[in-house]
Amino acid sequence: MSDKLIQIETPFVFNGENQREFDALIGRYPVKEAAMLPTLHLAQRQVGYITPAVMKYVAEQLEVSVMKVKDVVTFYPMFFEEPVGEYVIRVCHTLPCALRDCKGVLDHLKAKLDTDVASETNLAKGTTPDGKFTLMKVECLASCDVAPVIMVNGDLHKNLTSEKVDEILNDLSEK
Amino acid sequence: MVQERRILYEHLDVPDINTFDVFRQYDGYTRFEKAIAEYQPDDIAKMVMDSGLKGRGGAGFSTGLKWSFVPRDIKPCYLCCNADESEPGTFSNRYVLEKNPHLLIEGILICCYAMGIETTYVYIRGEFTLGKEMLDAAIKEAYEKGYLGKDIRGTGLNVDIYTHPGAGAYICGEETGLIESLEGKRGQPRNKPPFPAVEGVFGKPTVVQNVETLCNLPFIVGNGVEWYTQMGPTYADTRSDPPTPDPNTGTKLYCISGDVNEPGVYELDLGLTCSELIEVAGGLRGEEVKAVIPGGSSAPILTHYELDTRLDFTSLTLAKSMLGSGGIIVMNETRNIVDCLLNIMKFYAHESCGQCTPCRWGTPWVRDIVQRIADGNGRKSTMTRPKFGVAENGRWGDTGETEEIYEDLDLLESVANNIANVDTMTWNTICVFGIAVSWPAVSYMRKFRPEFEAAIREGELVTLPVAEATVPPEENYAYQQRFVPKEFADL
Amino acid sequence: MAFVKLNDLEIEVEDGTNVVEAARQHGIEVPHYCYHPGLSRPANCRMCLVEPHVFFPPAGAIVPDRQLATGCTTVLRTAPPDRKLDGKYDFIVYTDSPRVKKARADILEFLLVHHPLDCPVCDQAGECDLQDYSHRHGHDKSRYLEVKNVPPKKDLGPDVLLYATRCVVCTRCIRFADEVSGTGELGLIHRGSHDEIDIPRSHEGVPLQVLDNKLAGNVVDICPVGALISKDFLFKSRPWFLEKANSVCSGCSVGCNITVEYKADGLYRIKPRFHEDINQHWMCDDGRLGYHYVNSDDRLQLPLKRVDDELTPTHWADALAVITENLSEVETEDIVVIGSAQGTNEDNYVLQQFAHDVLKTTQLGLFGQLPGEEHKFPQFTIEADKNPNAAGARTILGSANGNVVLEGEALWEKVSEAKVVYLVSGGPERPLEDAEKAALKHVDFLIVQDVLPSEVTQLADVVLPGTTFAEKDGTFTNSTGWVQRIRKTIDPPGEARVDWEITQQLAKQLGGEMNYHFAGEIALAIAENVPEYADATHQKIGDAGIKLADSDQ
Repeated sequence: MSDKLIQIETPFVFNGENQREFDALIGRYPVKEAAMLPTLHLAQRQVGYITPAVMKYVAEQLEVSVMKVKDVVTFYPMFFEEPVGEYVIRVCHTLPCALRDCKGVLDHLKAKLDTDVASETNLAKGTTPDGKFTLMKVECLASCDVAPVIMVNGDLHKNLTSEKVDEILNDLSEK
Repeated sequence: MVQERRILYEHLDVPDINTFDVFRQYDGYTRFEKAIAEYQPDDIAKMVMDSGLKGRGGAGFSTGLKWSFVPRDIKPCYLCCNADESEPGTFSNRYVLEKNPHLLIEGILICCYAMGIETTYVYIRGEFTLGKEMLDAAIKEAYEKGYLGKDIRGTGLNVDIYTHPGAGAYICGEETGLIESLEGKRGQPRNKPPFPAVEGVFGKPTVVQNVETLCNLPFIVGNGVEWYTQMGPTYADTRSDPPTPDPNTGTKLYCISGDVNEPGVYELDLGLTCSELIEVAGGLRGEEVKAVIPGGSSAPILTHYELDTRLDFTSLTLAKSMLGSGGIIVMNETRNIVDCLLNIMKFYAHESCGQCTPCRWGTPWVRDIVQRIADGNGRKSTMTRPKFGVAENGRWGDTGETEEIYEDLDLLESVANNIANVDTMTWNTICVFGIAVSWPAVSYMRKFRPEFEAAIREGELVTLPVAEATVPPEENYAYQQRFVPKEFADL
Repeated sequence: MAFVKLNDLEIEVEDGTNVVEAARQHGIEVPHYCYHPGLSRPANCRMCLVEPHVFFPPAGAIVPDRQLATGCTTVLRTAPPDRKLDGKYDFIVYTDSPRVKKARADILEFLLVHHPLDCPVCDQAGECDLQDYSHRHGHDKSRYLEVKNVPPKKDLGPDVLLYATRCVVCTRCIRFADEVSGTGELGLIHRGSHDEIDIPRSHEGVPLQVLDNKLAGNVVDICPVGALISKDFLFKSRPWFLEKANSVCSGCSVGCNITVEYKADGLYRIKPRFHEDINQHWMCDDGRLGYHYVNSDDRLQLPLKRVDDELTPTHWADALAVITENLSEVETEDIVVIGSAQGTNEDNYVLQQFAHDVLKTTQLGLFGQLPGEEHKFPQFTIEADKNPNAAGARTILGSANGNVVLEGEALWEKVSEAKVVYLVSGGPERPLEDAEKAALKHVDFLIVQDVLPSEVTQLADVVLPGTTFAEKDGTFTNSTGWVQRIRKTIDPPGEARVDWEITQQLAKQLGGEMNYHFAGEIALAIAENVPEYADATHQKIGDAGIKLADSDQ
């Protein structure tokens, strides 16, 4: 079986800035493994998603087995194992947003972007062909007072209507 | 009309309150300075105990009592601040983090001083990018100003605060799930005992506190216990022997969303009623209140019959619900309860960590049953059975009538109760996620049974008028007082 | 000792025992999946729920605790005098109350909702905890109408397959890889009801690491259901058709306790058996899968003798006659008798008695498998000495007055000077090193007793077909001085015979007075004549083994 093992052609390493940040991170915890989540966030920021090379690198850095990294990556929905669009649009669809018509927002986004909604194991499904957007549903974003909300990468957009969604998409497309 | 009493949120909207200098103008860090100048650590712990402060994260456990379980001779001891605010309907911590992070830092400092803690991890949910940014900036500033780091203000006190980002898992808000996640593993809750106070993160004693709880500390220290305990009602806790006072002191950041005109966070004394709160939040959007979720999506639902219920820890417990995180979701007459339950069950099925059997496979099962009912494929038997309810003699029993058998409603109730039994308050799961699933499932179904029956009967979702959709309290044991085991019934 | 009320029983258990074990000691079953005595206890399967009773001050009475507790994590300890229940009990716990029974049945219902119920084609059927507990504690029907999860079947490593549909996610295998082997290849992927056991793979499913550590086979044993399956045993037999015998692994000098499972036509699988001081619950894959030579079609079935430089099959009487003829012409100092570290103490005792009493030679040697590599795991060691009985053979061969037991270079030097060598080998095929080959080539008349054709038998003038560990009774002494019994399972192939019987026959042929009837009788003789082995009778050794007094290393 061993000949079928994945061959990692280009190993992953942190770039200078991330390496500095990682070094600072490691010092915060009495055990290295504890830096898992922040380290994976860093790596994902650098390459966009968690590749096998990243998993291997993180495992070496934190002195755990590769499986421990894979385990964590698949547990937390914020880590991607596939390439995602430049802008990840997270649409909240939990009850308070549902009461304020998040479905309308989602349908509007689907029509506008002409794409389906990504599932956790198939992100490609929700990614536009030009690789600009990935549309996904998420659970409560803790902004129920300004529902419905979407989150584009790190930015929260509140009290959405179809017009507002159009505005946001226009802004992003122009960037 | 009930007035807001802003304490934690008093200066929230002051421009630049997130900077040290502005925060300082509004008494920032003076409470901490007072604590280290005037009190011994044990005095602070005693003050917190006397203040009756209950954890604001969801369980409502006495903070002072929690601190008293921490062994003082085992070092290091850690503080984990729970900023993994994920309960649907809850959003008060986000504003603290984004707008007034120094208040949290001050709270953490007081807790660290009281408990002899040197390292604090603030577990922030991954989606709070702005919140983490603001808190990180504030922490940096506090280090620069000498309020964090080594030998703070020349007292020999060392405190480090680190922020730790989550990555989108609801269960990491459970205190032991949070600890596991902080240790770099999947956020699967641990078996208790041992409780985190004895064996928490990295195997060391750990205090896990919600953001809001910690933000209360500066005001308890600054204004004194007496001032604090004047806010909110006190009850007699009849569950202990002899009955002890069960204070519900302080203010609560009520998060109100759904069908109200002005959703948002309102800081009010604990103990106002449901209808008062809706009033404060600009009144109902719509004609009639159909239902209110009083404490985040995990809490059993309240019907329009129960709008006089006081929103505090004890009253809601007695009403067989809970204050939880204080996330209140209001639904008007246009809402279909089956649809709402489906939404919530999808949330729980998605967020179950999958560690223990009943929750891993029970939660999606419950979702699937509700889905089937919502799709119009619910099953109903052609047979009937005797109807149990309040009989002629005024007692629970056979009413002499018959009722139709809705197999899927029986199944829904049974499966949910097998995960965690809402009547006996016992769960077969490792953590309380189980009861967070079965509570809404069973309470929605029992209290709004006509709407569930209609969906099965008609083969599609039918939204009934409020009066028809709701089961009156006297007819349904869903409203009964908190379950008292037979052995204690005579007490 | 804690005094515990367990259901209707009043029992005494050692402090620190958990409820599952305490109940097991008294013949009460507390069903469980995730709990394994050799691993940590996550209490995630929730099957072992029990009902502790506690003192409730407001009621002033002992009442059932509000929550059921998991038996695996509920540890029984002596309570302080003022905390005794009913004035005498340290703990009161019920494993058969209605509440417990209902909880068990409910959990089982959940465990089965996604299970494919494919027992007719499942290897585990017949020894499956899911089957057994469902039968004893479960509901008789399922209420689950929804679509079942169908996770894919996965190849985890050289010998392990995962039938993920049958998995109950107890995580025993993951904890084994983390705690015992320390290799950490296994983990969970995804979340909630989509949890699956897996090795690390890329998103496309290409493995980054496979489950190929030398202890990997244990995960199949500890899997309580049919999820982890050994490729070696897959579809070979229904477990209820297999005979079982308690034995000891012959793969190395650790001496892992094993259960050999066999039918008349050969061995089918080997599983580890618990021994607290030797192998705990585990064994290595070398031992587990190393039995195939026993079933080999190449096994020596008839004696062979050299005719015109070719080894030709013959019959026993002829082979023994040729040997007798050659031995009678040789001086005793020209004879070397070499015992086997693969053989039992009994084999070697008869051999040394033959050498000492019949051939009157004191020149003995010890032959065995070439040393391998030592592998250390956090909770397990595989030793470099690949012989099960080097320690025993050395002592036994040297037990008679004046006997010298040579090994290594000294032995081969002596062999190259000898005229007749009687070499007992055994075990899997053993390649010869150059020096050994050269020495053996010097010998005028070489008698080899072995189980498989090999480089050694090729040099022989007469080959006698012996037996493997699976075909005879006897005892092995491991490297830490434990004497343990192996047991006969299958019959030797063809006309192969038990090694000591061959030696005894030869002795009789040469006028010796030896008349043992079974291995236990030889063990009695050993006990009488070898001081260290005074207690090592088969009866006393039993299934637990005994530790030699003076070999406390």
